[in-house]
Amino acid sequence: MQVRNTQVMFYQLEEQLNEEASDENSLLHHACLQAAYFYRQKKKVFIYTEDQEKAHDIDEMLWAFDADSFVPHNLQGEGPSYGSAVEISWQNPTGRRPVLINLTQTMPDFSGQFSQIIDFVPCEETLKQLARERFKAYRQQGFTVGNQVAVTASKINEQTT
Amino acid sequence: MTPVEIAFSKDGLLAKAINGFSPRQAQTDMAIEVGLAIEQKSSLIVEAGTGTGKTFAYLIPALLSEKKIIVSTGTKNLQEQLFHKDLPLIRKALASNAQMALLKGRSNYLCRYRLNQYQETRGQLDAQTLTDLVKVKSWATSTQSGDIGELVSVQENSAIFPFVTSTVDNCLAKDCPDYDDCYLIKARKKAIDADLVVVNHHLFFADMALKETGFGELIPKADVIIFDEAHQIPDIASEYFGDAFSTRQLVELCTDVLQVYRTSLTDVKQLGKAAEKLQKTAQSFRLLFNYDPERGNWREKAKQSVLFQCFQALKTDLDFLYQVIKLCISRNEAIDNCFERAVNLLSKYDIMAKFDDCSMSFWYETTPRHVVLHQTPLTVAEKFSDYVKDSGAGWIFTSATLAVDGKFDHFAKHLGLQQAKNLLLDSPFDYQQQSQLIVPRYLPEANNKNRALALAELAIPLIAASNGACFMLFTSYRVMNQVAEHLADKIDNPLLVQGQMGKAKLLAQFIEDPQAILLATASFWEGVDVRGDKLTCVIIDKLPFASPDDPLLQARCEEVRRQGSDPFSQIQLPQAVIALKQGVGRLIRDISDKGILVICDDRLVNRPYGEVFLKSLPLMKRSRDLGQAAQFLQDITS
Repeated sequence: MQVRNTQVMFYQLEEQLNEEASDENSLLHHACLQAAYFYRQKKKVFIYTEDQEKAHDIDEMLWAFDADSFVPHNLQGEGPSYGSAVEISWQNPTGRRPVLINLTQTMPDFSGQFSQIIDFVPCEETLKQLARERFKAYRQQGFTVGNQVAVTASKINEQTT
Repeated sequence: MTPVEIAFSKDGLLAKAINGFSPRQAQTDMAIEVGLAIEQKSSLIVEAGTGTGKTFAYLIPALLSEKKIIVSTGTKNLQEQLFHKDLPLIRKALASNAQMALLKGRSNYLCRYRLNQYQETRGQLDAQTLTDLVKVKSWATSTQSGDIGELVSVQENSAIFPFVTSTVDNCLAKDCPDYDDCYLIKARKKAIDADLVVVNHHLFFADMALKETGFGELIPKADVIIFDEAHQIPDIASEYFGDAFSTRQLVELCTDVLQVYRTSLTDVKQLGKAAEKLQKTAQSFRLLFNYDPERGNWREKAKQSVLFQCFQALKTDLDFLYQVIKLCISRNEAIDNCFERAVNLLSKYDIMAKFDDCSMSFWYETTPRHVVLHQTPLTVAEKFSDYVKDSGAGWIFTSATLAVDGKFDHFAKHLGLQQAKNLLLDSPFDYQQQSQLIVPRYLPEANNKNRALALAELAIPLIAASNGACFMLFTSYRVMNQVAEHLADKIDNPLLVQGQMGKAKLLAQFIEDPQAILLATASFWEGVDVRGDKLTCVIIDKLPFASPDDPLLQARCEEVRRQGSDPFSQIQLPQAVIALKQGVGRLIRDISDKGILVICDDRLVNRPYGEVFLKSLPLMKRSRDLGQAAQFLQDITS
């Protein structure tokens, strides 16, 4: 199940100025953008969440996402048996997919089976600290870990076209 | 400014004549384009979202042009609405004295000859039919138009109507003793002389394909042809450019021949024998098909040798009957009519026997008693576009649902209208605020045995929240009835289920009883108009893809595959998109309407083609959360 050379990329979320656009929403939004990006690259994605409620949140946002960046997706337990382009779950992945988007606070045990991992660094201090822990944990696994500032929607679109 | 722009302007003719009229850019834009197409005798395809006011946008430039105009729409009801409501208003506003006419299909007009015949020969009637006959008779003495739509006191589906109206087959045409007083002929004459005539698509294509002999003189005279509800045209056109041959026609011919034999030509014993023989063969032909009504591929079916032998026997017996009738020609008008029908049926038979023709789809459909064989062209594009070109008229095609993903290719390709100008006008409604599109989570798969139960359970809170303002639409009768059973056990709302009574009655009861909910099959809601709070929640069990078993669809898909394209994206997907758009249009009729559309089919979320649906539908707020959907409904009702 292990793949060689897992690449991890951390995206630093920018400070949100108004209350509505919380850290949480910004995280979901960037996860959606990433999912859309990999869907257009024809790479299958697994989005891992803390619990069922969070899985539903990301599901809700992906479904409501701009129709021009439509992302076919399913929650684990619904949809086609082989899963769709993007699968969302708070449980272990069942099939093989190249890309993991991690929305949990710890490094998932199954990280090694993905060739690409997307993770995020929120702004809030405790969350930021947990992200640093994950950063180390990935590195201890021998993964190549990088980080960059999360780009805005318009820039992602430029990348995809 | 052009006269059209002036009419639509802030203090133009419309604003003066119509209370509360305010100019809207989309409507004016459409009117200007329609005016141009009329002037240049070109073709125009317009999608005008619900609420744009497209009726005015085509009628006004048409009337201002002072040319000869045909307006064709989807149903009789829409025809009447145009003729009795919209046109008088516009005519007044424009102070126009154009002559208008309403023309319906043959079966809408009283046939004096058949009414007299029926009074003389009728057998035992049940009480209802007898009452209806009395009403028809008294109305017949006073009616000007002979349009049976005037007879509001008689049910639309009364058993009396087939006996007092005519069909192409039993019409005696020029030989009819009542020819000079024929209501149908009068209505046609009036239509031909009028400046603007309102018809429906079936009538239009019957005329165009010359399916009614002695007709076909209406369209050639028109300078402007306008189709409303134009999304229906491709299917209707295919039907009329095709042919059909049914055992019903054979049996009716035999019945009429026997009637003639028993009353006037009693000396020709062979007539009776020949007719009885053909009648029997026609019946045994039906028995070779499955008991339950179905559709299928005739080319395949004809490979069964027993069935094919019986099909050949039809020809032998029909031929024999034809020979016998031929000997009786000109003994009376009734037998002459039978002779013409026999000739016609023989030629139809030959068409169905040549099922090797690859440019056509050959399919059959059975009813409890009869078999109909159909030959349908796979494409009408060439024929239709030639017709459009040769007509020298301006052609306008409009509907709220023509575009798929912002493009008109699907529609234009069907009719060979790739050269036509396109216009896409958004609805003025705020769909984000007024409506929601919900796809529930964790639905059981389509073939799961608990699916009906799951559908019923997810519907219950929505029915409660909408206070009964709810439609449930199904792709199969089986699932519809299962869900109805589950609901009957669990809720007290009266359930109106398709099949319990006629469509009109079902709808009337639904509107009357605030608690009643309606369960029907998906095709039910085209043309349904329920405004306001009585319809706020529509639940659909599956995306409206046509059944893959449909023989005509199969043939079209095969043809697309032969051309190296993908039948799913070319045919099935666009057709389902249009069907779903129709549905949304039924839910939100007005600027103040609110409602939710629940689609219990997660393919919309997890398949790539979901994107095509989303880009084609109005921009509704999307959610997968049934809880907040129920909240939205509750907020509407309270």
